[in-house]
Amino acid sequence: MNEERYILFDQYLQGELTVDERNGFENQLSQDPEMAAEFETFKNLHVQLEDKFGYEEEREAFKANLKTISDKHFNTSKPKVIGLNAWYFAAAASVLILFGLFFFNYNQNPVFEDYNHPEQASFTERGETQETMQQAQTAFNERQYAEAIPLFESILKEKKTPEVQYFYGISLLEESHYKKAETVFNELISGTSVYKDKAKWNLALSKLKQKDYKGCKETLQTISQDYENYDDVQNLLDDLD
Amino acid sequence: MGKSKIHPDQMYIEGLAANDSAIIQTIYKKFVPKVVMFIMNNSGDKEHAQDVVQEVMILLFNQAKANTLQLTCPFDAYFFLLCKRKWLNELKKTSNKGVTINEDAVSMNESALELIGQTEEFDEKQQLFDTMFQKLGEKCQELLKLSFTIKSMEEVAEKLNVTYGYVRKKKSLCVGQLTQWIQEAKNFKSLKNN
Repeated sequence: MNEERYILFDQYLQGELTVDERNGFENQLSQDPEMAAEFETFKNLHVQLEDKFGYEEEREAFKANLKTISDKHFNTSKPKVIGLNAWYFAAAASVLILFGLFFFNYNQNPVFEDYNHPEQASFTERGETQETMQQAQTAFNERQYAEAIPLFESILKEKKTPEVQYFYGISLLEESHYKKAETVFNELISGTSVYKDKAKWNLALSKLKQKDYKGCKETLQTISQDYENYDDVQNLLDDLD
Repeated sequence: MGKSKIHPDQMYIEGLAANDSAIIQTIYKKFVPKVVMFIMNNSGDKEHAQDVVQEVMILLFNQAKANTLQLTCPFDAYFFLLCKRKWLNELKKTSNKGVTINEDAVSMNESALELIGQTEEFDEKQQLFDTMFQKLGEKCQELLKLSFTIKSMEEVAEKLNVTYGYVRKKKSLCVGQLTQWIQEAKNFKSLKNN
């Protein structure tokens, strides 16, 4: 490696050469295309290194956020690929429901069960807790919440992530441990994870399940309109009125 | 190269650079399904699609952060073609199946193609840089990391408990080593292409 050369490059970039040295250097560059190309790379590397380290934290935060959103997108979009038959049923069912609503559902308060559609859990965590994660995921997805709760608790003791907290909260809510569930949701709400709005929605559901309609409404009103399932929020708000 | 007008879809780029969850979710909702369809119709599955999209998103983040990404065409076409080409390249690498890349050149306007060229060049440069950086010794990596996060070389010297002259020289040589490797890779590539 031509050490002298790189030291000279650096000194030139730092503006440490005398006027004569600088002129000499620039002269050399104009006559030696290979050295000029090398200097160009050397200079560009400074920009790349600055980008690499200058935004490292932001990049990691972006990657983590991206992963969460991506995982969520690819798991929840599964039901969208239902076949034509299912669409027929869906259409028929909605007609029935519409009739039902039309004839029977005057002035009735909404009920928790109507809005209780927990999403599927899909953990990708690797490591020591992997096995427990897998069990918790299966129990949760099979709606065996009482079974899932202690599993989540042992995972959270090892490592606390918003994702696990969120599914733990839902399990508690399903088993009607309101106080505990609401503590979990409130913790998520005061955090900055992507589960913030989801936690608010579930907190509202918890109020609904306890027939605290006022509390439910108040919580719903704090949910941002950017929330992906804002339609549900709007529907429930309409039902509450 | 004239200054083309920046497309209003630049907001997606800004949103990515700012790690704006609402914008990222919108991109997934609006533009990703088309990519998934394409990959699933071309020997891939959902997981492949997820990976390709994620890679392209990180690439766009990096390019936006380096301030070299100015959208002059709709995001939709640009994003789709980037993902598509990335996937087809992936296929070419992993399988020996003949892959035909039908160019969409006819349906694409010139500024979109130019932009994709720039992004792919950025990607290539970045990958070369990353590979070479990983090749550096631990000491060099550590020193460069400190030099480019702390900025003041006096402080870097203090932190590493060595003299200012030493860190300055060492930094020049570490960047020099990278320069040499990258130059060699470039020369090799142009030799191979000729």
